[in-house]
Amino acid sequence: LSYFCLFHSGAYCKMLLHAAKYPHCAVNGLLVAEKQKEKKKDSHSTPILCVDCIPLFHGTLALAPMLEVALTLIDTWCKENKYVIAGYYQANERTKDFRPNQVAEKVGARIAENFSEAAMIMVDSTRFTMGCYEPILAIYDHHENKWKCRDCNVDSFEDWCEAQKITSALLEGRSYESLIDFDNHLDDLRNDWTNPEINKSVLHLC
Amino acid sequence: LNVLIIVFTEMRDKLRKWREDNHRNSEQIVDVGEELINEHASKLGDDIWIIYEQVMIAALDCSRDDLAWTCLQELKRQFPGSQRVKRLAGMRLEALEKYEDASKQYDSILQDDPTNTAARKRKISILKAQGKSAEAIRELNEYLEQFVGDQEAWHELSELYINEHDYGKAAFCLEELMMTNPHNHLYCEQYAEVKYTQGGLENLELSRKYFAQALKLNNRNMRALFGLYMSASHIAASPKVNATVKKANVKYATWATNQINRAYQVSYARCLL
Repeated sequence: LSYFCLFHSGAYCKMLLHAAKYPHCAVNGLLVAEKQKEKKKDSHSTPILCVDCIPLFHGTLALAPMLEVALTLIDTWCKENKYVIAGYYQANERTKDFRPNQVAEKVGARIAENFSEAAMIMVDSTRFTMGCYEPILAIYDHHENKWKCRDCNVDSFEDWCEAQKITSALLEGRSYESLIDFDNHLDDLRNDWTNPEINKSVLHLC
Repeated sequence: LNVLIIVFTEMRDKLRKWREDNHRNSEQIVDVGEELINEHASKLGDDIWIIYEQVMIAALDCSRDDLAWTCLQELKRQFPGSQRVKRLAGMRLEALEKYEDASKQYDSILQDDPTNTAARKRKISILKAQGKSAEAIRELNEYLEQFVGDQEAWHELSELYINEHDYGKAAFCLEELMMTNPHNHLYCEQYAEVKYTQGGLENLELSRKYFAQALKLNNRNMRALFGLYMSASHIAASPKVNATVKKANVKYATWATNQINRAYQVSYARCLL
C-alpha cells in the first residue's frame, strides 16, 4: 500500500512564504486536499493533491486553545469548499533543527484521526534559497503510531518547475510581507487567512 | 526640496516608531535606515547614533554584514570603549555563529561591569541559539533571582517553559508578570492559554476566568473572546460538572458566540463559527 501526496504550486509557495515572513520564529500551518468522492479499495490509491495551504501561527506553537479554534473554523471552511484537512507543516525556530517535535507529532496525529493518509511536513530551512532550486520539505507518514520519513523530491509536486518558478518569483517580490496567517487574523479579523491576493498572484504566474 | 524634507522626516519617524514598538521588521528597517544613513546623515543630528544601532541590529537579521560592519565602525569611532557598542560587536559575532568569540566578548563586558544585564541576556540567547534549552532555562532562572523585576526576562522564561511543555512553570512566570502588570490584558490572556493547555477541569475553569479578565481589560482581544468560548464550551460538556455549573457555562459560551459574531460583522468579515 502506498499513498502519496502531490503538492500544488500554490500550497508549496505559501508554506515557504510563511517561513520567509517570520525567519526568527517557528511557523506552522495546515494543508488541505480535495475531498475524494469515494475510497478506492484497490492498492493503487489515487494521489492526494494538496491544493492549498492555510498558515496558522508563528512564535509559540505549543499552546492549545487558538489551535483548536483554528482547526474548528478551518474545518467548517473545508466542508463548504469540499476540502479536507490533509496535512500539517512546521518550520522550527532554529534553522538547523528540522526534526518533528512533540507539537508536530500531536497535531499530525490529530489530523490523521480524521484523514488516515495525513502527512506531516517539516521545512528544512538550511536549504531555503531565493532561487528555490530544490524542494526543501521532509514528509512524514503515520504508520502504526509512528511517523516515518519519506523522500520528498520533484515527483512530489504536481508541476515542480511551475512551483519553483512561482515560489521564487513571490519571494523575490517580497509577497511574504502580505501573507496572512491565523495569528494575523486574530490580531485583526479583516486579515483573510485564505490569502486571496496571493492566490491571485499564483494564478497570474501559472 | 520640500518633498525631500517630508520624505526624510517620514523615514526618520518610521524608524522611531519601530524602535518604540520594538518591531522586528528588519528588512524594512534596513531599507529605510540604509537610505537615511547614506543620503541624510547630516540632517539627523544626534539621532544618528541610535539609528546606527537600530539599523545594525536589523542588518544582522538580514545577513547584511556589510551594512552591520559599517554601522559598528561608526559607533566604535564615536563611542570608544563603550559597553553598549561592545555588546553590538558581540551580537555581530552571534550572527556569524561565532558563539565562543561572542561569549568571550560578553564575559569581558561582565568583567568590567558584573551587573551588565544586556551582556548576561545575550549569553542566554547564545544558549538558546545552540538549542541548549535546559541550560538557557537554568541561567535565566539564576538571572531572575538577581534581577527579579526584569519583565522581558520573565516573559522569555515563560516562552522557554512553554516550548518544553512545562506549563506549570510557564504559568508561574506569567503570574509574576500579571502581579506587576495587573492591567496588561496580554499577560492575562496568555496565562489563560497556558492553563487551558495544562488541561483538567480546574485549569479549564481558571482559564475561563482569566480569558474573561483579559476581555474586561480589553474587550477587543479576540483571543480572549475565542478562549472564553472554548473553555466555557468544554466545561459545559464535561461529565464532571453539575447542572448549575453546566448551565452557567452554556450561558458564557453563548454570550461569547454572540460577541464573536458581532466582531466579525463589524469587520465585514465572514464568521465561520
